[in-house]
Amino acid sequence: MSRAERAVRPGGRTVEHLKSWLIMLPGLVLMAFFVWEPLFESVRMSLYKTRNVELVRFIGLDNFVSVTGKDDFLQALVNTFSYTFWSLLIGFGLPVLLSLLIGETTRGKSFFRTAVYLPNMLPGLAVIILWSAFFSGEKSGVLNILLSRLGIPAQTYLTRADWVIPILIIIATWKGAGSTALIYMAGMAGISPELYEAATIDGATVRQRIFHITLPAIRKLAGTLLILQIISVFQIMYEPMVLTKGGPDNASLSLMQLMWQYAFGGSMNYGKASAVAVIVTLILLAMTAVYSWLNRRESDWD
Amino acid sequence: MKAIRHTGVIREYDLHARPVRIGYGFVIAACVLVTVFALFPILWVCLAGFKDLKEFLSSTSILPSVFDFGIFARTWDQLGIAKNYLNSLISVTGSVVCALIFNGLLGYGLGILKPKGSGVVRKLIMVSLLMPTTISIVPLFMNIQHLRLGNSFVPLWLSYGANAMYVILFTQFFESLPRSIIEASRIDGCDQLQVFFRIVLPLSRPICAVIAIFAVNAAWSDFLLPYLVLRGGERQTVMVRLFVFSTEQTVNADTMMRAVVFSMIPPIILFFIFQKQLTENTVSVGIKG
Repeated sequence: MSRAERAVRPGGRTVEHLKSWLIMLPGLVLMAFFVWEPLFESVRMSLYKTRNVELVRFIGLDNFVSVTGKDDFLQALVNTFSYTFWSLLIGFGLPVLLSLLIGETTRGKSFFRTAVYLPNMLPGLAVIILWSAFFSGEKSGVLNILLSRLGIPAQTYLTRADWVIPILIIIATWKGAGSTALIYMAGMAGISPELYEAATIDGATVRQRIFHITLPAIRKLAGTLLILQIISVFQIMYEPMVLTKGGPDNASLSLMQLMWQYAFGGSMNYGKASAVAVIVTLILLAMTAVYSWLNRRESDWD
Repeated sequence: MKAIRHTGVIREYDLHARPVRIGYGFVIAACVLVTVFALFPILWVCLAGFKDLKEFLSSTSILPSVFDFGIFARTWDQLGIAKNYLNSLISVTGSVVCALIFNGLLGYGLGILKPKGSGVVRKLIMVSLLMPTTISIVPLFMNIQHLRLGNSFVPLWLSYGANAMYVILFTQFFESLPRSIIEASRIDGCDQLQVFFRIVLPLSRPICAVIAIFAVNAAWSDFLLPYLVLRGGERQTVMVRLFVFSTEQTVNADTMMRAVVFSMIPPIILFFIFQKQLTENTVSVGIKG
């Protein structure tokens, strides 16, 4: 019997399947250990009273009641939605605009692409520390130096409750907008040039071409990036932790930062930390569900 | 100027119109402005590194008064960053190897072998992509403690072998490979692992390069799990060290700026070597956040 025949023999197929699973096994074990099991574990842990790394006893929803009953939870919840709002306001349209602008350039296009992408390569922590010097309230703070050239007196930035969240979002946008713009550029590169040519011959202005050809072509991509952006900004944690420690007066405290404080901020209350994590997960799941539901409705109409 | 083709929304023909030409001038100006905005902070922190504490806290000038590279060397020695660099190197190398092998094999299974039931795994991985990652850091840390893997690089290396995004990228790439080559080598008597190492992997250089670059950068920049696993020990990486500085405020502001510069040098070098792969690949869709 030849090898080819053996490969299609029923018994041989089962062995093949088993071997294939065996090849995938190491990867699956790691996914289970690092991703899947911790997710279930955090749900389970949120229902237990914990001491250090041990589960002491099942206490139902007590962790949730205790966590949500505190003032800092409500503050963190409102702040997290505020982060999302500012992030969408500042950071969602900008990459589209950047990709439109850079896409139009002829000379120097690859230079512009490289320049806007570079901040994305820098370590997030280094970026936060770098910008903290920018927004320093001292006369030697970089922004104050620049403003003083324009005759504007020195300001404080990070100690203002209503400025701190937009500032954090500006920093995040500085880091991430360029790489998102490149994704949009890849999407726009897929638009057939004939579409533009045809529209030009039909007398469409540049603005009409943008609104009727370019933007509709990237709508689906924009939807995906929107949901990814929401998921990522909802998990904002180390940025306020490093920049302001959640201050002034909890004005920049995020939900995930609250989770970190419960777990690693000295009290080692892993049960309560998991309760916060579960709440964040539920909000994100709800938002993802609403998004895909809206998407389905739209595609039904198409 | 004739040789340059306008291939975007603005076509060659449009440039006959004066308003479009002016508008195009604005486009270029905006791009230059954006570039300055993107690069100035990076340039600034390098300049600020030349200032000593007194100058850093009092000077209202962007440029330092003297360019003395010795101040960087002194900070390097004083903080003992060399050891942290070595630790980061060990951490990054292991992470990249794990990212390529484990995610690659899983992607091979999902994209080419497709054994019975693997569709479920595929869906599971897609869902994991949408699941917030930092959510699970607490139970993950507890698991690592339970296995007594604290103060070791092993859990950090292995964590890069479990990246849903990398698995999906591998799977999609493998699916695009011509089936005929793989089937031919199967009939020639290669078993599945041989096919992977002799046929699939050599054909997959582009995707391996992209994932390796992303993994190097991610592993270098990572500090939350590394901090929890390595804190207080001898194995702290550069970013863990920087995080400790920032939370405990154990170093002066000027020293901090130099530490930031040290932490940015390897990613910037990586970027300039691989800028083509980084800015011109379309697989980066989804590598966000």
